[in-house]
Amino acid sequence: MEREHPATGLRLQGVTLGERLQDVSLELRTGDCCVVVGPNGAGKSTLLRTLLGLERPERGAVLLDDRPIEELTPGQRAAHVAWLPQRPALGEALSVVELVASARYRFGEAHGEALAHARRALAAVGAAGLADRRSDRVSGGELQRALLATLLAQEAPLLLVDEPANHLDLAYQAAIYRRLGELWSRGLGLMVVTHDVNLAWLLGAPERVRVLGLEKGRVVQDTTLAAPDLAERLSALYAVPLRAVEVGGVRQLLVDRSVLPTPAPGDEP
Amino acid sequence: MKDLLLVLVVVLLVATASVFLGAPLVGAEGQFVLWQLRIPRALAGLLVGATLGLVGAAFQLLFHNPLAEPSTVGTTAGAALGALGALVFDLGGAWQLSAVTLFAFAGALAASLVVALTASSGRARVNDVLLAGIAVTLAAGAVSQAVHSIAEMPALFAAAMWGLGQLPQVGYERVLVLAPFVLGSSVVLLFRARALAALALSEDWAATQGVPVRRVRLEVLTAGSLGVAACVALCGPITFVGLLVPHLVRRLLNPPARQLLGLSWLAGAAFLVVCDGIARVLVPGRELPVGVLTAALGAPALFALVLRR
Repeated sequence: MEREHPATGLRLQGVTLGERLQDVSLELRTGDCCVVVGPNGAGKSTLLRTLLGLERPERGAVLLDDRPIEELTPGQRAAHVAWLPQRPALGEALSVVELVASARYRFGEAHGEALAHARRALAAVGAAGLADRRSDRVSGGELQRALLATLLAQEAPLLLVDEPANHLDLAYQAAIYRRLGELWSRGLGLMVVTHDVNLAWLLGAPERVRVLGLEKGRVVQDTTLAAPDLAERLSALYAVPLRAVEVGGVRQLLVDRSVLPTPAPGDEP
Repeated sequence: MKDLLLVLVVVLLVATASVFLGAPLVGAEGQFVLWQLRIPRALAGLLVGATLGLVGAAFQLLFHNPLAEPSTVGTTAGAALGALGALVFDLGGAWQLSAVTLFAFAGALAASLVVALTASSGRARVNDVLLAGIAVTLAAGAVSQAVHSIAEMPALFAAAMWGLGQLPQVGYERVLVLAPFVLGSSVVLLFRARALAALALSEDWAATQGVPVRRVRLEVLTAGSLGVAACVALCGPITFVGLLVPHLVRRLLNPPARQLLGLSWLAGAAFLVVCDGIARVLVPGRELPVGVLTAALGAPALFALVLRR
């Protein structure tokens, strides 16, 4: 798990995909950390799926180390980019260690070896005890740790993570973000889609955490977590009043409910 | 691994027992019945049962659908149309195989090919492939009915008998014809066990983990259809094995997806040989087609499994 990762980069060039992504250009390299925020339906998950080559853009290009991603085999892509989907619907119930071992597919190794790697990946996220439990019998937090181990077991230098803290209690949320921060500090490239930008402080080095705001498929904010005007920028993005509050030296954004506009009758939540 | 050995032992016991089921084997006649009738028939039963069980499991994983079975991709409907055509138009055979066998095989492959091509085209989702299979089945059924309307009575009767499904009655030739197709198909499917297990988990996720989704899909559909086509061509449609056996294995042993394939291969072999043994002795003086028995045993067994949950 501790091996050196080759420098690698994933780039979107003027990518348009229907209404979901419109003329998006961005780059994620090893050592980068990028948090993607935006209201529901802004195109955050689509952005990740496009970077993975799961969606084919109508215009523009997805480049992995300057090569169009559709020219690469699934094995080549998997060697560079790993994905933690948002609450993957697992079609088959199986033991956690088998689940984690599925990420070893690209190595073409013997199954016993894949299982050994899977156990090490589970140990690395402090979840060695889950190995022989069934994936449909573990709690949400335990499953999320198993999924994080799956992400690690693929040994890719770029990690695309979709809402890793969804459905988790507060302690687990913090733990997952700290783990991701550790991975970043070891030189991996990280892109995290989240609804809660406050959790991104747990990644570390806020001045180096890039925050991209998506709205209706467009990148409308591009700043850092440490930016003094982050509250104003995200207020505009979510159309809710946000206030920056210092708690123990960490700046957190809170919704100012005293001035929250009342939704008009018939508005969807 | 323990499960695999256990099922293997069951298969061997069952196959041996089935050979001695029925009238006692005495003298030269007994030797003939044993070596020329029962053993080749048991071998055919093992091959066909294993193939149907394995393909059923593979298709259930591929389509994320517990209702998928070997004929989901139109194989059986295509074979039935081919067999009917051969009988109604009184076509001649070749290579020592009857026209029914040859045209059933051709029909089965043609139907599956349409579905396999759909699977490998562009951005077909796995449900589109399932729909294509249903469409091909319905289309083949419609053409069959048209052929029915112009057919003579004897041909229709022969087609109906073929449709009951029966293991070959005599000798080793058909076993030798069957073996390369079904064993080749089984090797490809078992070789793809890990990819299928990953696909069963989540297709998109598997793709990002390095599984060549479209190639695996095409390989599994082609290899599976080829094996089933050979079985259907020689034995007629033997229903329920491909649907029931993977569920039986799941409920009894609860293996990971990767092992479901090998276990279904073995369990399918055992199930069909047992059914065939019973079909031989159930009604004194005459044999039931094994297809009737697999359905008669399979349907209640499936019910029992569902209710037990």
